[in-house]
Amino acid sequence: MTLSAPSTASTFPRLRVRPSRRFLLGAASVSVLVAAWVLLTMVTGTLSTNRFPSPPQFWQSARQIMTVGYADATLLGHAVHSTRLVVMGFAVAIAIGVPLGLLMGWSRRAEALINPAFLVIRPIPPLAWIPLAILWLGLGDAAKVMVIFFAAFVPAVINTFAGVRGIEPHVVEAARMLGTGRWRLLTEVLVPAAAPMIFTGLRLSLQASWTTLVAAELVGALAGLGRVLNMAQQDIYPAMVMVGMAAVGVLGWATTRLLAEVERRVMPWLAG
Amino acid sequence: MSAIVFESVYRYFTRDGKSFPALDGIDLTVADKEVVALVGPSGCGKTTCLRLAAGFEVPTKGRVTVGGQPVNGPGPDRAVVFQQFALFPWKSVEDNIAFGLRNQGASASTRRERVSAIIGLMGLEGYETAYPHQLSGGMQQRVAIARAYVLDPEALLMDEPFGALDAQTRIVMQEELVRIARVNPRTVLFITHAVEEAVYLADRVAVMTRRPGRIKEILDIRGVRTAERWNEHERIEDVMDLESFVHLRTHIWRSLREEKIGAVP
Amino acid sequence: MASSAQRPLSKLETLVLGIIGFATFLGIWLAVSASGYVPRQFLPTPFEVLARASHLLTAPFAGATLPMHLARSLERYAYGVALAAAIGIPLGLAMGWYRWLDDIVTPVFDGLRFIAPIAWVPFAALWFGTGIGGPIMIIFSGAFPPCLISAYRGARFVDGKYIEAAQMLGASNLRTIAEVLLPASFPSIVAGLRVGAGLGWQSLVGAELIVASAGVGYMMVQGQSNISTPTVMAGMLAIGLVGLLIDVALRQMEAFVRRRRGLA
Repeated sequence: MTLSAPSTASTFPRLRVRPSRRFLLGAASVSVLVAAWVLLTMVTGTLSTNRFPSPPQFWQSARQIMTVGYADATLLGHAVHSTRLVVMGFAVAIAIGVPLGLLMGWSRRAEALINPAFLVIRPIPPLAWIPLAILWLGLGDAAKVMVIFFAAFVPAVINTFAGVRGIEPHVVEAARMLGTGRWRLLTEVLVPAAAPMIFTGLRLSLQASWTTLVAAELVGALAGLGRVLNMAQQDIYPAMVMVGMAAVGVLGWATTRLLAEVERRVMPWLAG
Repeated sequence: MSAIVFESVYRYFTRDGKSFPALDGIDLTVADKEVVALVGPSGCGKTTCLRLAAGFEVPTKGRVTVGGQPVNGPGPDRAVVFQQFALFPWKSVEDNIAFGLRNQGASASTRRERVSAIIGLMGLEGYETAYPHQLSGGMQQRVAIARAYVLDPEALLMDEPFGALDAQTRIVMQEELVRIARVNPRTVLFITHAVEEAVYLADRVAVMTRRPGRIKEILDIRGVRTAERWNEHERIEDVMDLESFVHLRTHIWRSLREEKIGAVP
Repeated sequence: MASSAQRPLSKLETLVLGIIGFATFLGIWLAVSASGYVPRQFLPTPFEVLARASHLLTAPFAGATLPMHLARSLERYAYGVALAAAIGIPLGLAMGWYRWLDDIVTPVFDGLRFIAPIAWVPFAALWFGTGIGGPIMIIFSGAFPPCLISAYRGARFVDGKYIEAAQMLGASNLRTIAEVLLPASFPSIVAGLRVGAGLGWQSLVGAELIVASAGVGYMMVQGQSNISTPTVMAGMLAIGLVGLLIDVALRQMEAFVRRRRGLA
């Protein structure tokens, strides 16, 4: 959110914000929140620490889970477990979803054939697959991967499809004019042209994967961050809940950044 | 002999079950190594003519041949230069140019040789590894022309090639095209809205009627160019100042105006 | 080699292929289920699912009929989305207009954004127990970001010419915001609302699976505990259908707004 609309900023110069000022404001607001946190939990006691942990409690829980462990594993163990499942579900989903999107985008026949089935699957929220997955595969990892698959699959297909359909028609005509064979057309024209939208789809898929994983683990799991959250809630241990949430946030952020890096490297031709 | 021949070409579009004529009997020959400009009011079907020659569309009646062969789909023998360049944004300049050669199975050394030759010809030295988005409009169009030329096509088809460029770049490109055509002549059919461009570049100018399009008249420019010695003038603005040039241009304008009056939007 | 991506199919062809595709899908489902290759218990036939769904329309399961469960779900959904829109949209607009507000709120927002809405569930449970507050909070956390972001983008990236024109015509700050900025951002806001509504619905399902005593998600959990696969699938169908209807309705509204604006 750092782009500026020059007109609004210059015509209403209430506060000509230089970059450093911007940073200061941001830091200030975060600090205010932290201060409020401390105040409300430790000083005035407005927020009962049965419901909302104080900073020291948070830190203590964090240390606990990182060293001794909680819910049968350390933070690292849970994080690895969760990340593994996300990666598996995500990988399978895009391995099937992207080619399917390419096919449906390129061939109107394929689209007409596959669309009805896809339209049945698509509106079902990924989380709604959880009870079915549990019925079919129990409470173990397989059920989680299944649900993650469905969550990541839909955005991958839709965005890849949109990417292909959105290709400037003259680009394809130019390729045909240049005598491009089928395979080369796919690999050197269609896929690169659709790549930006494909990556948008991947980003959405990744987001959906994390959400679904956490939900699935909340419902029932033997390990993973969701399990941490679940147990902490049952133990009425809000500090640990917070630690769990923070961990989820960090991992989500990290994987998203990783994807953005990949995106940047794979598409060096994009402006800016 | 690489002539482009339109033999009684009709093209109808169907929409909602109804048939709309776009081209109403086009007979036109672009002789070997001749440059013909196609002008006409908006919607007259000039782009359709080009697309028929390129093989992107098929005539409803009649046929189009290039070099004696009926047109059967697009291919590098009828290279197209698009108004919006249609370069591959994910490939560098030299990869864009080499692409068609790769499709023809040219060896790496052949490709290198021909690509660098055309880069030299088009004034693109130093930009080999740049991406399209880093280039100005004029440069991008040079790449598009290079990409077409490097294939040594039978015919060059250009759809308002300079339409997306600003007026000054346009003039530079027109001069460039004349220079290249002298070095590397080939059969060219191009479409333009700019009548001066047509008169400056073409050997003959074909004027189309409004939709459904037919050839209204064909003017011989080459005769006038030779007789009035336009080539003795280096600069485009000097040529465009000549009485013979103005006369031709005005004639075409008047012809087009006749078509526009009473044109239904 | 004509690419059929370039050539739209006739309506008839689309319909026929669609029917073939759908019939194949149902056929495979039916075949796998009826053959007993997968135990019937786990994969009921399509007909069984439909039968169960219609049964649930009138007969209660887990405390209520399907329509009643849906009503409970929709109730908390509506509150959650309304809250998200009521806070997100004005806040987004303000952030787009007042740079300093953007600078203050964005870091906080960015920090919390990566926490999947569902991760708020245990927190909500601790705070609200199984009351209505919990699900509403979850739905809010799902629907809020798109509402905020789209309003922000609509305001931030509004064509400066409109603002300049308004100023030249002597409009006050307030009038500019209300009569220029807001209408100009409207298409973006509506699009964001649609996305937010969709995410909110998904979050609701998640919330109900975990923390609820009523609603379609709860019904599905009960179905799962009772190993009643048709119930679970009927629930999925219902959720999908309602979600689809909501999306279609909002798309229509979006298209309407865009048409009025001459954007499409």
